Amino acid sequence: MVASFKRLACATALAGLVMTTMANAADIKIGIVAPMTGQLASEGQDMENAVKMAIDAANAKGGVNGDKIATITADDACDPQQAVTAGSKLVSEGVTAIVGGYCSGAVLPTLKIYGDAGVPFVIIGANSTKLVAANQGNAFLANSTGDMQATTAVELFKKNGYKKIAVIDEGDAYSSDLAKLTAEAFKNAGGEIAARETTTAGEQDYSAVVTKVKSSGADAVFWTAYHAGGALLTKQLRQAGFQGGIVLGDGNNSPEYLEIAGSAGEGVYLLSPPTVDLLSGAADFKAKYKAAYGRDAGAYAALSHDVGDLIVDAMARAKSADQKAIVAALKASDFKGLAGEIKFTDKNTLQTSNFHPVVAKGGKWVAAE
Amino acid sequence: MSEEATSLPAGQRQTLRRSLLPGLAALACALVLPQFANAYVLEVATTALLYVVLCLGLNIVVGYAGLLDLGYAAFFAVGAYTTGILTAEFGFNFWLSIPVSMVAACVAGIIIGAPTLRLRSDYLAIVTLGFGEIVRIIARNLDITGGASGLVGIERPEVFGFKLMQVQHFYYAFLVLALLTIFVCLSVERSRMGRAWFYVRYDEDAAAGIGINRVSAKLQAYMMGAVIASVAGCLYAAKMTAISPESFTFNQSLLILLGVVLGGMGRIPGVVLGAILVALLPEVLRGAGTYRPLVTAVALLAIMLFRPNGLWPDKRV
Repeated sequence: MVASFKRLACATALAGLVMTTMANAADIKIGIVAPMTGQLASEGQDMENAVKMAIDAANAKGGVNGDKIATITADDACDPQQAVTAGSKLVSEGVTAIVGGYCSGAVLPTLKIYGDAGVPFVIIGANSTKLVAANQGNAFLANSTGDMQATTAVELFKKNGYKKIAVIDEGDAYSSDLAKLTAEAFKNAGGEIAARETTTAGEQDYSAVVTKVKSSGADAVFWTAYHAGGALLTKQLRQAGFQGGIVLGDGNNSPEYLEIAGSAGEGVYLLSPPTVDLLSGAADFKAKYKAAYGRDAGAYAALSHDVGDLIVDAMARAKSADQKAIVAALKASDFKGLAGEIKFTDKNTLQTSNFHPVVAKGGKWVAAE
Repeated sequence: MSEEATSLPAGQRQTLRRSLLPGLAALACALVLPQFANAYVLEVATTALLYVVLCLGLNIVVGYAGLLDLGYAAFFAVGAYTTGILTAEFGFNFWLSIPVSMVAACVAGIIIGAPTLRLRSDYLAIVTLGFGEIVRIIARNLDITGGASGLVGIERPEVFGFKLMQVQHFYYAFLVLALLTIFVCLSVERSRMGRAWFYVRYDEDAAAGIGINRVSAKLQAYMMGAVIASVAGCLYAAKMTAISPESFTFNQSLLILLGVVLGGMGRIPGVVLGAILVALLPEVLRGAGTYRPLVTAVALLAIMLFRPNGLWPDKRV
């Protein structure tokens, strides 16, 4: 019994080792850090796939500066501790640059590791404003920060004539930041916050929140957290007879939202980062993505693909794999990708917001008029 | 101390002598590890040492006194946030924040422990579970704790003018803390207090019958566990420089408990082994990609199936 158990343990450990050493020995290594396990694994998978697509395309054209590029993926599981080990693993493996990062809470403690090592880091998803302050100069936010989304949200509320808004978040760094900023911006614009609620990630029953929203007399609900909770909340709001508008933050931009919410999702607004479906130049990318990975490209696929291209572009402009030169090249980026323009401010954030409202019609997201 | 040692039964003294050599060998390995390892391996080793400290602390509560605590991460959070707030917001010296954290953990331990430790196991488990969640939710909602994004820019500690910066510095810091914790555990295990816990764990009524104040014995165990977790939290905050409520979830409490149960409740080398496994297993299996949680779970199930009392159980059980 014990012997067979030992054999099993050895086999498992060996299998793990073999798989880790499988990363190929190319000249330039790019690290991808994303949640590959846990609740947000679907987004993480999209990010990995899309970045790889961009890198593969660059390799097919002969690589960059004559060198081939390989990618190494490290799972941060959206957990601060795991993110730190994942990050230092990538740095120890000598990656030239790192892209990725979805959850702000998990990205924050890693900024120091990448900063100390001087590794250029392009953040794809995470966009808490605290990232800007903790940045040591080597990190770049390819996604609009929360305050930019808040501006887009308030514009939408005004356009739709909402006067009283219920703002609901999930209490994590990202969603509560967005909720706070939007509530402030809406108040400054003359609106009223009818209710301000926080739910717990992984919750199934939102009836308490639904009751509060209904009794507060809000014209619309603004949900700032992720699709798993958002879909259930939408369903339960509609089941309880809530007639007002529902607006979702960009964390809900996943095909799964519409699947879970079903007919309740109809007419719901979403503040979307540039989604593949709504980008005119992305039809080709979408088809290629589906062919390569057998699934539809999710929310961050286009942006992730752009970031993959951006890092190749920066290395080409830097004319070397020197990390300081790449950081300088990234700073000077003037890049036009699928998802729009990438130009950085002196704080390494995007110059222009890339959020835009979309609406669910017939089980699909379409551009809102 | 020497009086205590000579009063030990011959069998135990022999065990102690026999475990001295492997213990020293392990320590020697741990000391030279940074010479050979890269930053990633050291990062994982540091995490393992953090779990050694946390698991040993929880072992006092669960292993020695037999109190099922499902909210142990709360005390870890108390330590981390005390250091975070004092250094980042009020400019305190890191070392000064440690005694404050210990006091804060003691106070939290008394507040939650004094009324609830009269309860028997299952009820206590529920109360501690609630306590763990309360602490996390408070941290998430107060401005002083940085809300959901947590605190950033926590001061790095200095030792005689030398600033702890690199991962190997923190590796040694955690190693010292782990050794201190082992020393504390070894001492209390064989003290009058340790024996009292042991009796309480076996039979509360019989323990009360031979004159042990069971509530105060349990409270002592609870507070000692709390203090150890809070010191670990202080060092954790200094190492991460940024802390957020996501580090102190129910999962964290479970993981620490898992280390204790996996290694063997009530036995120091067992608990150390369990803690190291809990930290190492997910990293060793990184190559398994998205199957990582599944493989980890299967491995843990296999261990529990073949070694139901833990890998290195307490023989007194």
